[in-house]
Parts: sequence; structure tokens; C-alpha cells
Amino acid sequence: MIKLLKNFFDANRKHFAEGGRLEKIHPLFEAIETLFFIPGHVTQKHPHLRDSLDLKRLMSTVILALLPPLFFGIYNTGYQARLASGLPLSFTPVFLKGLWIVLPVILVSYAVGLFWEVLFASVRKHYISEGFLVTGLLFPLTLPPTIPLWQVAVGISFGVVFGKEIFGGTGRNFLNPALTGRAFLFFAYPMNMTGERVWTVINGAKPAAVDALSGATPLAVSAVSGAFNLVESSLTEAGYTASKLFFGTYPGSIGGTSTLMCLIGAAILLCAGIASYRIMLGGVLGMLAAAYPGYLLSMFSGSSSVPMLSLPPFYHLTMGGFAFGIIYMATDPVSAPGMNTAKWIYGFAIGVLTVLIRVFNPAFPEGIMLAILFMNLFSPLLDHFEIQARLKNRVPNV
Amino acid sequence: MISFHIRKGFRLNISGEPSHNIEELKKPDRVALLPDKIPFVKPRLKVQVGDAVNVGTPLFEDKRNPDVIFLSPGGGKITQINFGARRVIEEIVIALDPEEVYEDFPTISLSEIENIDKTALIQAIMKGGLWPLFRELPFRDIANPDVPPPSIIATLDSREPFQPLPEVYLKNKIDAFEFGIKILQKLSETVFISTASDDAFTLKELKRYLTHVCKGVYPANDPGVLNFHIKKTPEENRAWYIDGQDVLRLADLFKSGRYPIEKTLVLGGSLVKERKHILTRAGVPLRHLTRGRVKNITGRYIVGGVFTGHTGSEESYMGFYEKSLVLISEGDKKEFFGFARPGFNKPSRSRAFLSFFNRSDFPMDCNCHGEERACINCGSCAEVCPVDILPQLTYKCILADEIEEALAHGMLDCVECGLCSYVCPSKIELSDVLKNTKKAYYLEQI
Repeated sequence: MIKLLKNFFDANRKHFAEGGRLEKIHPLFEAIETLFFIPGHVTQKHPHLRDSLDLKRLMSTVILALLPPLFFGIYNTGYQARLASGLPLSFTPVFLKGLWIVLPVILVSYAVGLFWEVLFASVRKHYISEGFLVTGLLFPLTLPPTIPLWQVAVGISFGVVFGKEIFGGTGRNFLNPALTGRAFLFFAYPMNMTGERVWTVINGAKPAAVDALSGATPLAVSAVSGAFNLVESSLTEAGYTASKLFFGTYPGSIGGTSTLMCLIGAAILLCAGIASYRIMLGGVLGMLAAAYPGYLLSMFSGSSSVPMLSLPPFYHLTMGGFAFGIIYMATDPVSAPGMNTAKWIYGFAIGVLTVLIRVFNPAFPEGIMLAILFMNLFSPLLDHFEIQARLKNRVPNV
Repeated sequence: MISFHIRKGFRLNISGEPSHNIEELKKPDRVALLPDKIPFVKPRLKVQVGDAVNVGTPLFEDKRNPDVIFLSPGGGKITQINFGARRVIEEIVIALDPEEVYEDFPTISLSEIENIDKTALIQAIMKGGLWPLFRELPFRDIANPDVPPPSIIATLDSREPFQPLPEVYLKNKIDAFEFGIKILQKLSETVFISTASDDAFTLKELKRYLTHVCKGVYPANDPGVLNFHIKKTPEENRAWYIDGQDVLRLADLFKSGRYPIEKTLVLGGSLVKERKHILTRAGVPLRHLTRGRVKNITGRYIVGGVFTGHTGSEESYMGFYEKSLVLISEGDKKEFFGFARPGFNKPSRSRAFLSFFNRSDFPMDCNCHGEERACINCGSCAEVCPVDILPQLTYKCILADEIEEALAHGMLDCVECGLCSYVCPSKIELSDVLKNTKKAYYLEQI
């Protein structure tokens, strides 16, 4: 089998090599071949040894960490769809239903994204970066399950082309490509990205069941509920208990509902040393720091003009895909700062901004997405200041 | 004695460590001097093929300073002078006579050293062909005798894998080492001698002379790293350094009145059967070292250490500075689904492989384990850099031709340890780019 594959690649390499018929799409051939075989390149320059870790391994570890939210997301999407349609909820049909809904979204995201990657790599004559494998999976997980497939295609195209490639490709983008794509869809097609109807796939169901369904997201419920202390109870009334929010069995974006699954992913990322704990912890601290004062204030004053201020901070951590965003999106090394203190500040600011956007701007309940994109813009500046401070401590050597 | 801890760096868990045993080799049939492997030198030959030379006969001088001469490591006849591309002199090969004749050099005793004039001492070292052992930071060129150095650093062991241990090469030679220290002290008032905090031998035997005890992994005891952590002012950047074993050679020159050719080398790596220290002479053929001591597998000959050395072959020779020969597999095989394997047998600094749970030594090879990709700013290089450079940013400054900015980032502090390239998951040749830019910057200055 291995030998067969090897022979296959060896036999076809000439078509993609210089002067071959398919020379133009050599990056595609290279990407597929290196997926199967780590090349036998040896060191030409000092040092003679290299670490076993390469970008493929690094990115596949991120994919591994994305599997818990992915599988749970598939299950939950199917579960919510069948629940809303009043169908039985045993595991296999639920999972298959979820797969039926989610798989096309992921496939479209990968296929269209890969098309752009290959196009740019072929024109620029460089290799296809493995980072796309992550972007192509992150993006669909942030979408509502009812998203039309053509919008998935448009979104990932925008994310890859305008979020990354026009700046020079992987490593040179200053925005997270997956979130850029999502933000584009969010503002371009708000009907399909927000509201009460987008979070559950309903087809062939009885109208009664549909009407009985509360489609409002936890964020929407908290934003519009009445006076102080009512937020928590109105959440509970809407069916969003704290444990439900934590485990993620409620309608929402495909991969972003379950805080628990994201925490498992975070554990994988942190154990493997791939993502920055500074950003994640900073984000949680920032969120608590921003949510607590409002909470305490409204507890003492008894009422508040902004009802969401009185939401217990714990809810903030579990709602609106915060966990997914801070664990997978904010820690993208390219668009996050590289310096350690800057990472703390960056994470902290994301947490604070998320709460502020959620609380004071009910029109955009997606606090975490905007907060991360906003802080992406600031990460070069944060880095700059820390680097300058660091360089001042050096004894000059010229 | 100042203790300090260098937190960055990396201990490579590579198998094939040589034992502390030492074997004395018989005389080889030929030796060589490799001008090409001596950085920055511009050789002007003083001999030609067919000339008879003694041990200590000048073979070539440095055009930049003709007082800096390189002497023959053997007595006999010059059989080959091999040129490389653009007439670079690669090898000067001397076929050895059965009975070699030694050139005479003036002997200087310990008491004479105390009173000798500094210029006379420098002249004596130059005539004795050992001046090139002194090298100057940060470019690691041969020291400039006209500018007194802020300090001289004698390094005992930089902790690069498979280098001669002080315990072996200093055994029974403490007297000579002390003599050598006296010479260094004559050349500069500030002499730093540093050892590793876990090197019991040197801590005990050299206690009186040690100025620094350094805790840390490779390249903690490298002179550049040491100087980086010691220096307080820009004037201290141009320190000189000399290897511990070469201090012995200095002493040997003055004690015996002969050009010292004895060298303790190390033969290590997973392809070597008999891994040990070897007592032999300067410029031996690599074949002479490996004969009967290595496994019957072709691999890579690394002269001078897996991080800083260069690739040799069975046909080449030990260089002027190098003190080890490492043989490891080339590793030019493709690996099926390599990225998805659990990786029990894949050593890595990262925690992305299951080898994390097994920190024992692994046989390593020269495979890149991946292909070059764009920098994703993961920061691994900055985590290992022993002199606190941010290699990823310095590299980007260099690519953008912002040399001033690269200098501000501390490009010249780079000790060329190679760790940044080693850890880079994007397989970028960071260390090589930094090293070459440093070199180009230096060549522009002179």
C-alpha cells in the first residue's frame, strides 16, 4: 500500500515538475504528497539537526483539539433539528442528521478555501500552508447550521483572500482569516447570521412544534430581559440553565455552544504547548474584570438601565461562543501578539471588550468576534511597545 | 566566583554519547591543515607541493596581518594542496616522515612569564603559531593583537553534545592549565574562566581560577553567552576567547619549545561503535579516527559538533579549531503519514509528540522533519535563544534590509548556536541567515 502510493507519486511527479504539463499546480501536488509522506529532505546548513515538530504536526494538533467541539457540534445540530421537528432523539439518527447538515458546510469551506490557496500558491510559486487546514475547519464551526452553502463559499473566500492572501499569505495577515470571513457574512447577510430562526435546522416538522420553539439565543435573551435579577431567571425560563449553557445542548453556532468541549480542546492545546495560555487566561480574567463591577453595581443599586449588566459573570463565560473564540480564534499566533506581556494584555482586552460589546450594544450580540478582530488590529502595536522596552535593556552591540 | 543561571537554551537528548575513556591513537600517515575552515582568514601560502616541512614550519600567513602564521602540524613532505571553488585553499596535506623533526621555539618558564613584556609575549605566541587560538567576539575572527581586549574568556565546555570533557583533557594537566592561565592574565587583566555548575571535576581542581559558575544547558558556557550575561557596557563586546584545551597548548608551546600538536578529540554519535575520547594530533584524517570504530553504515560526518560543525567526509581532516567528530544517519528517507503518528520515537522540544513522556536519549538523524514554511510567529526561537534575541523579528529585519534595526535587536550578540533553526517548526534557516548577515556586516567594516 505504502509502496503503491510512493510509486504513484514518483510516477506522476514529472507532470508537475518544471516543464511538465501540470507545472502550474505543483503546489497542489506537493501538498498532497507531503500529506502522505514527510519528505526526505536533509539539513544543508548548520545546525545539522532539526526538531521533529513541523507546521503539519502543529496544525494537525490544533485540528485534534478541534475535534471535541466538532463532534459535539455535529451531534448538537442534529439533536436540535430533531428536537424542533419533534422526532425521536436516539443517538444514531441524531448524529446522522447532524452530519447531514454539518458535513456539507465543512466540505464547501475546505473545497472553496483550498481553491483560493492553490490559486495563490501557484501564482506566487510557494507551498500551500497547513494553516489553511485549521482556518477551513474553524470557519464552519462558527456558522449557524442553517447557513446557505453559497454563503459558506462566499465567506471562506472573503476570509482567505481578503483576510490573508492579499497581505502576502500565511504569516503576514493581521486578522484572523476565519473570523474575517465570519464578520463579512455577519454584516453582509445578517438575515442568515443573526436572529431567532437561524440556529436550528427545521424541515418537515409540524408547525406547532416550530412555534413552541424559542429561537432566541442566550445573548439575545439576556439583552432584552427586564429589570435586575430577572436576567438569570429569564434565561432559565427560556431553557438556558447554567449547566445547559456549559454543556452546550442548545441551539447555536455549529461548534461554539459547548464550553465543556472547548475546554477539552484547550487542554489538548495547552498540554501540547501549541496555544498560548496567556491569551486564554487573560481573556477569562478580562471578562470577569469587566463583568463583575456591573454585576456588583446593579446588585447594590437594585436596578439598571442596562439589564445585561446584572448578568452573573459566569454566564458570560459560557455564552455566545466566548470559549470557542478565546481558545481557538484569539490564540492564532499570526494575528495575536508574539510577546508575553502583550499576550496578557491582548487576551485581557478581548475579554473586556466582549463584555462591553454584549452589554452596551445589543445590536451586535457577537461580542467575541468583534473583540478579537478589534484586538487583532492592536496586536502589532502591543508587540511594538514591548519590543522597544525590551531592546532598551540590551547593552548595545554594533 | 559568581554563580549564575542561564535559563534559556536546550539540552538535546541525542544518543551516542562518548564515554570518558581515552584511547591514544597511533601516528597517522598524513595530516592536514584546512585554511578554508578558519573563518575570515585570507591565506598566503608559504610552501608548495613537494616541500619538506618540519613540525612548526609556517605553511601560510594571513594576508590581513602577516604576523599571524599557521604552522605545520606534521613533519614530512607536502603532497597535496587542494583548491576549491574560486581557488579557496581547502587542504594542505603533509605526508609524515617516520621520524619527524620539530622546529625549535624559545621556552619560557613560569617565572619568566611574570616579568615578560606583553608585546614580547604576543610576538612569541604568534611565532609559535598559536595566536589564531585567540578569537574575538562577536564575529569570532582571529583576535586583533593591536587592540587590548576588555577581557579574555577561557571556556571549558559549551555543553554542545559530544565535545571533549574538561575532566578528560585536563586530567593530570592542571599544572599546564595554570601556566596557560598565567599567560592569559599577562595578556589581559580580566580573565574569565567559567565552568558548569554540575562539573565536579573542574569545580574541585580549578577552584582557585574559576570566576563564574554557570548553571544551564547548551550553549550556557559558550563564550558569547557568557559575555552577554557579564557585560555592562558596549566596550565589553569585543572580548577575546580561547578554548580550555587550547590554553593547554599555549602552555605546552612555552614549556616544551615545540609546536604543540597533541589534541584530545571526541568520537561520538549513534553510528559509532566505540564512542570515546581520543588522544591524537592536530589535523588527523577522519578515516584515521573512524577506522574500525564505526558501524558499517554510511552516514554524515559532522566535524565540530551537531549544532555548529560542518559536514566532512571520510576523506577529509580535522580542522584547526574542531575537537569532535560525530557520525549520525543522514535520514534521507520519506516517512509515511509522518505528521499523524503518535511519535513515541520522535524527539522534540515541543510537547506535540508522545516522546514527551520519554526523555531518554534518541538516535537522531539529519532529516529536516518537514519543509520550509512561512514564519507564523510562534516564538519558539525566542524561547531558546540564550542571548535574548528575538530571532524571528531579527530575521524579518534582515529580510527587509533593515540592518540598523537588526543590530538594535542584538544581531551581533548572536552566538551562532543554531538553536533557533533547530526548534523552528517552519524550518526556516534562522541561524544561518543571522550568521551570514553578521559575516557580511563584518566584511563591510574591514
